[in-house]
Amino acid sequence: MLGWEYPPHMSGGLGTACHGLTTALSQLGVDVHFVIPHLLGKETASHMHIVGADLYANQKNIPDLLEATRTTHVATLDPASTESQLSEPLLSDIPFLKIKKIPAFLTPYLKPETYSQLISFYQAYFKQSQKDRPTYINEFLLKQMPFMPPVFLSLLQYENVNESPMQQYGNDLFAEVARFTKNVLNWAQGQSFDLIHAHDWMTFPAGLTLSKLTGKPLVIHVHSLEYDRSGKNSGNYQIQEIEKTATQSAQAVIAVSHYTRSIINQEHCVPLEKVQVVHNGVYSPQAMANYKKENNLQSKIVLFLGRVTFQKGPDYFIEAASRVIPIMPDVTFVIAGTGDMLPQLIMRVTEQGLEKNFVFTGFLKGEEVERMYSIADLYIMPSVSEPFGISTLEAVSHDVPVIISKQSGVSEVLNNALKVDFWDVDRLANLMIGILKYPEIRDDIVSMAKEEVRKLQWERAANKVLDIYKKTLEVPQAFASI
Amino acid sequence: MPSVCFYFQVHQPLRLKHYPYFHVGNDHTYFDRTGNQSIFLKVAHKSYLPTNKLLLELIRTHRNAFKVAFSITGVAIEQMRRFCPEVLDSFKELAQTGCVEFLAETYYHSLSSIYDETEFSEQIDKHIGMINLLFHQTPKIFRNTELINSDAISAMVERKGFQAMLAEGADDILEWRSPCFVYQRNGGTLKYLLKSYKLSDDIAFRFSNQSWSEFPLTAPKFANWVHNVSGNGQVVNLFMDYETFGEHQWSSTGIFEFLKALPAEILQHKDWNFLTPSEVIQTYPPVASLSFPRIVSWADLERDLTAWQGNHMQKAALRQVYEFAQEMRNRNNPVALDLWRKLQISDHFYYMCTKWFSDGDVHAYFNPYQNPYEAFINYMNVLTDFRKNVLHLEAI
Repeated sequence: MLGWEYPPHMSGGLGTACHGLTTALSQLGVDVHFVIPHLLGKETASHMHIVGADLYANQKNIPDLLEATRTTHVATLDPASTESQLSEPLLSDIPFLKIKKIPAFLTPYLKPETYSQLISFYQAYFKQSQKDRPTYINEFLLKQMPFMPPVFLSLLQYENVNESPMQQYGNDLFAEVARFTKNVLNWAQGQSFDLIHAHDWMTFPAGLTLSKLTGKPLVIHVHSLEYDRSGKNSGNYQIQEIEKTATQSAQAVIAVSHYTRSIINQEHCVPLEKVQVVHNGVYSPQAMANYKKENNLQSKIVLFLGRVTFQKGPDYFIEAASRVIPIMPDVTFVIAGTGDMLPQLIMRVTEQGLEKNFVFTGFLKGEEVERMYSIADLYIMPSVSEPFGISTLEAVSHDVPVIISKQSGVSEVLNNALKVDFWDVDRLANLMIGILKYPEIRDDIVSMAKEEVRKLQWERAANKVLDIYKKTLEVPQAFASI
Repeated sequence: MPSVCFYFQVHQPLRLKHYPYFHVGNDHTYFDRTGNQSIFLKVAHKSYLPTNKLLLELIRTHRNAFKVAFSITGVAIEQMRRFCPEVLDSFKELAQTGCVEFLAETYYHSLSSIYDETEFSEQIDKHIGMINLLFHQTPKIFRNTELINSDAISAMVERKGFQAMLAEGADDILEWRSPCFVYQRNGGTLKYLLKSYKLSDDIAFRFSNQSWSEFPLTAPKFANWVHNVSGNGQVVNLFMDYETFGEHQWSSTGIFEFLKALPAEILQHKDWNFLTPSEVIQTYPPVASLSFPRIVSWADLERDLTAWQGNHMQKAALRQVYEFAQEMRNRNNPVALDLWRKLQISDHFYYMCTKWFSDGDVHAYFNPYQNPYEAFINYMNVLTDFRKNVLHLEAI
């Protein structure tokens, strides 16, 4: 597996995602060799082999036979030179003059010009004599660049420039990608593996080349696209080309959402059958924060979300609600979804004169679902019979405590939830009141449950990835790569 | 002449019954009488009765050379009286040997030392009164709930006139020093007896652990470890829950045979003896002063309070129960006061602990609830009723 970063040194979500995915994959028996540009020493990954590619920089013995393939790929990537070192001429000569012509774009990590700029500051710092320069490089750099990207801060632990991973990698992003590609090829000579899994465009050249050289299938994992980062017409052309080539030539493509999948399909002309969606284990906290702001409602909201059918137990939800309302008359009960029981439920609610406390939203989709979870104070899944109950995990991911029926698969794996027999409406009502009345419980149960859910979600993600591996390996490679 | 000092803690909580919110206003009995009775009887027959019998035998066999100390909570005594008076009789019989010392603590096994000094003081007085009445002794030595101590707590204990108190020999408090000496409170005269946690836990926790490298633990082996202290210490304080014998370590593990053989093994070395805590401080002067800058307990690896006040629920519940302390005492209603104090029993808060919950709680054995959240809801429902309908106070 080829990656760009690993916890604790991270600039984006990619490192976290790689950690979650590899941990869960290793539990499924997958032997993962995870290669990143360089190790900073604080990474812990007992579940797999983690490799810093820079260690393989000086091996020159790539067989000639493979040389041609290697250079064609590397050359297209590196505008300066594959051998670029941190040398004086390069600094003044400035490859970023070239880059500056390129419209601004954001990689998930750094803009190329920011990157080059930082390198030059970094070198300038060490060029000063020790007594002239500030004691801490951070001070110096922060003065130059008040908005220091976190990835760079993480490199600052290297007091001595000669020990720095910077020394080996080029001073623009493409040079670094090229260097990484070369190092990966060096490393791979001593390895045996069945499949290559590459995360995001920086590792795609390495993945592609390695796949071409070894004939092993390539799985491309798209966490974000240049299209997302920079918009439709302003992205970096080179990056888009890398993404296009990789998604088209890979044997399988994994997208982190249906949205990303459709962009890959439209922008890069990759057939939908080839692109599988595997959701990450966690939701973006940013999106959730936005929804929260909208919630200025005074009354508490208890949510039922799902098909309004016998199997989901919405009638038990109403029975329990009718016991809560006399004690807490301000609570709103939301039934989100539709189904054959809906008319019957509405009748039951009006019969008991509880219509003021009930909202029937009808069927919700996509963003509406997320918004609904975000404003809820409590989620109830009273299913009569539920194979798993993935909605529970979604509710928890949105910081909502859950009460679930013992007749569900999820109740077997989630400890930090309240559990009732679906028919035990008195007990359900008591727990509802408890959670709504005593707010401290929410603080504790949500933080504990989220940790569990994160693990469970990654398990599901890893299972899907493993399926993709298996299917990919079943296809004879001779045909697959055509 | 080095000594071994045994102290056993006897406590059984009063567990709450299932108390749904709908009971608020209609039901003011809070405790699970049937459940408490059956647990108490089980523990009495598995642990208290056989161990008391064995200790009595040992004291007689060794002609008063074997001595122990007990601290028995008021709520445990009440349950002995109500459910199994012969347990109380057997403790009285032990008291009559003159080889058993009874220590003072809070009657309600509460955390009042952290929340309310007046409350702390009154609960100690109530406990001393009970010990006096039952065992004809006036305790001179204090032990706090779960061996909780800090500089502030020991200052209160000293003000109460105690000569010494028991505390955990936590590593970060002792640093390079040994728990096998008597210490003195920093800036005061109160003496400290510190638990030798390694040797104590060898019996209390590791005795039946088959993956422990020292398994099986025999009396000669353990006595040898104790004797190794000779020259480096004066007193080995072995402090543990009394339920260790027969309940935490079942009879089938050989714990009773171990206890039966141990005094003879210890006394084999003629310069070793057994002393009670009061005798320890009369025999050995303090070697240095000791400060407890943080709150220390004998619980878990952390030796702190996180098992009782580690999460939001526990803090909220504790804050609310101590909120009406002044109100309760002003009313001078003994029945309501006793009821309120029973809601202070530390175990109620322990059941709400989420520390180990996700990784298959090892403490689940002691917990009557399915999960810490239901423990909290149940407790808060009871507290709501108590506040509204016993005290007629406004809702929170």
